[in-house]
Amino acid sequence: MSSPTAMIFGRYAAIDSPVHAMDARCKLTLLLVYIIATICTSTPLGLALCALFTFGFYCAARIPVRTALTCVAPLMIIVILTAIANLFFVQGGETLVILGPLGITENGLHQAIFMSVRLTVLLFGACLITLTTTALDITDAFESMLMPFARFGLPAHELAMIAGIALRFLPQFATELINTRNAQASRGASFTEGSLRERAHAFSALFVPLFASVFRHADTLAAGMDARCYHGGTGRTRLNQHAFHRRDALACAIVALQVAGIIVCTLLGV
Amino acid sequence: MIEFQDVRFTYDGQRYALNGVTTRIRPGEFVCVLGGNGSGKSTLAKHINALLVPDEGRVQVGQWDTADENLRYLIRSTAGMVFQNPDDQIVATLVENDVAFGPENLRVPADELRIRVEEALKTVGLSGFERNETNALSGGQKQRVAIAGVLAMKPQVLIFDEASAMIDPRGRTGLLRVIRQLNSQGLTIIMITHFMDEAALADRVLVMDDGRIVAEGTPGEVLTRAQELRRLHLDTPFPVTFSLACQDAGLPITTTLNTDALEEELCNLLLTR
Amino acid sequence: MQLAFDQVSFTYDAQTAKRKGKTAAAAADWGNSPDDLWALRNVSLTVNEGDFLGIAGHTGSGKSTLVQHMNGLLSPTQGRVTFDGQDLSAKAAQKACRGAVGVVFQYPERQLFAATVYDDVAFGPRNLKLDALEVDQRVHAALEAVGLSCDQLGAVSPFELSGGQQRRVAFAGVLAMNPQMLVLDEPAAGLDPEAKSSMLNLVAQLHSQGMTIVMISHNMEDLARLCTRLVVLNQGSVVLEGTPEQVFSQEEQLHAIGLDIPAAQALANRLRARGVNLPQGLYATAEELAAACASLYQAKAEEA
Repeated sequence: MSSPTAMIFGRYAAIDSPVHAMDARCKLTLLLVYIIATICTSTPLGLALCALFTFGFYCAARIPVRTALTCVAPLMIIVILTAIANLFFVQGGETLVILGPLGITENGLHQAIFMSVRLTVLLFGACLITLTTTALDITDAFESMLMPFARFGLPAHELAMIAGIALRFLPQFATELINTRNAQASRGASFTEGSLRERAHAFSALFVPLFASVFRHADTLAAGMDARCYHGGTGRTRLNQHAFHRRDALACAIVALQVAGIIVCTLLGV
Repeated sequence: MIEFQDVRFTYDGQRYALNGVTTRIRPGEFVCVLGGNGSGKSTLAKHINALLVPDEGRVQVGQWDTADENLRYLIRSTAGMVFQNPDDQIVATLVENDVAFGPENLRVPADELRIRVEEALKTVGLSGFERNETNALSGGQKQRVAIAGVLAMKPQVLIFDEASAMIDPRGRTGLLRVIRQLNSQGLTIIMITHFMDEAALADRVLVMDDGRIVAEGTPGEVLTRAQELRRLHLDTPFPVTFSLACQDAGLPITTTLNTDALEEELCNLLLTR
Repeated sequence: MQLAFDQVSFTYDAQTAKRKGKTAAAAADWGNSPDDLWALRNVSLTVNEGDFLGIAGHTGSGKSTLVQHMNGLLSPTQGRVTFDGQDLSAKAAQKACRGAVGVVFQYPERQLFAATVYDDVAFGPRNLKLDALEVDQRVHAALEAVGLSCDQLGAVSPFELSGGQQRRVAFAGVLAMNPQMLVLDEPAAGLDPEAKSSMLNLVAQLHSQGMTIVMISHNMEDLARLCTRLVVLNQGSVVLEGTPEQVFSQEEQLHAIGLDIPAAQALANRLRARGVNLPQGLYATAEELAAACASLYQAKAEEA
């Protein structure tokens, strides 16, 4: 079973690599730049350049091909849908095939191919972040990036704390849900058959214990946090300080090079 | 030194969960608090680190009065607490972040945090688990992470609120080993439990019933009072149960907590010389 | 009635693989170690009518996986589980067996959900589509069997009861299915001494009334005292099987996998090693050993 954390945050590949070791804030910022750059690319050479850089980062991160593919595969449905939409709805140029009321044109075909490649490259880029960064580091990075907004009343620390605790308890609640399902199934509950009313009742037998458990956990967790002197985010120190290393600077330089390359390609129109 | 002076406390305003508790716990002592459900033993524990404060009377940790709000974090970092359910007290996804949680709240600087985390994990025998996921640990390991999380605050007193009730025998053995080792290093241990074999390890045993301390003394003194323990719905340790059963069956055996002594006595009675 | 495990092996990975249509290699991720371990390996055992089968072993020895095979919640990766000769991997047999094999999981009170004790206990019988009268009879009988009064507690919310009572209600919820066999996963875990002993007395009483029982426990005294047969699991395999007397005579083998023998038995072994002429056999409780010692003492006194 794929873990619920993985379903929300994507899979993490525990490998020792310079990309894994990068500052998560740096990675997230670069991802943003990368996404904008890739979206703005309008030439085939520019896109090829993006693909090349992405490939380079994957090599540096030592992600096995298979792992990368498993990570991106479920998302390919987006690519396929986009391709189909482009294929049929972008008109212009010579008509290649006619399927009932819909025709596939030369422009449509070009656009479909270009868009699919661009989206695929983007997805690989985004997956690289989840593959090389733990969910915890991502929430941490968000907290630290949101910190400047704290003075405008944004509860950055609290949001990150909530996300962190949710991450911690998600797998546990998943286990508890499975245990409850087993127990109720043993009492003849069926979650897939029967009338709507029966099924609703069966589901209440699943979720009432879950909510009861959430409240029970919350109560004692609060006491536990109290006992360990938790009193909000102000003044808390951090075990893992974010630090900007040479490898982060290098990654920035590489992405800058990529952006420059795309600009050149766009200007030259190739 | 922890001192309770005629402490009364009620959750609902109707029944006293603590009804006049007076006791002292010396530094370095290993004290076990026994009692059935609802006897007030957990309420007592929560008074030591100011999670609860008395309605009447006074609790002092060192010179600090737990009722003083300004001293709250000082008291909680001096008297750390490990709870019953290992799943309810771990806040972080990774072991090292969880152990660091307490000292982070105490504003310990980052480089010292790292040292404290390493030391605490070493003490509980979990070195090398820093980057492990807390979820994937066994119950016994989770409780040891919880202990490390408290140790990283550099406490002088450790309170275990039925900390072994939900873990399996093997996890329990490991946990007890860690607790004894901590006690031998000079930490004061206060253990709330209903396991008699744990109580037998203590320097002193307090037995609670209906919000009061009804018996107090060394394990040898308290745990051999079988009638009283049974009346309070508590078990007796095996050697005591056995020596009483022998006496009932007509064997002249002294009531004892010590299996070795029991063995000697039986050999003397049963072996022909 | 007979429940039989025939060379059952099980891995959680293969199941994932089957459902997802992928090979097992892709399953381990997100920091977990690759879990290619077999949770059960070649387990064969039989539970016959009237048995009280004890299952001992550490956490992770496969006990809980074994339990889930007993009413078809899990199906073996290899081998088969049969209930009265019917293979439980078939849907129809599973359904029949869900009624006949009642499983009380660990901390069953956590599964309570209904607004009243009555409704919670009635959940199972209602799922069996019984008529209201029959449901009512079963709820009363089940609550009575666990020592609770339906008239007093039927309308109370289960969440207002004490821990021990909650567990009894959950227990009644399974009994109301009228099972022929009860599977109990550590029925006394986490209870205080009083609630614990009354829970175990209840189990013993059900067995004496003819219920077939399978009980998982960490407590060797309880197993020695209550079971007619005992299975010891280690790393998914059955390492010892037999009467409690046979199993607990293997002190060294049990110690090797980190399990203890009952304290009375351990003391008896020490006395025998010192030359005390105790009869061979199982001493499950302090009382049994005390009686044996007393009769030795009397025999010696008569000699003198």
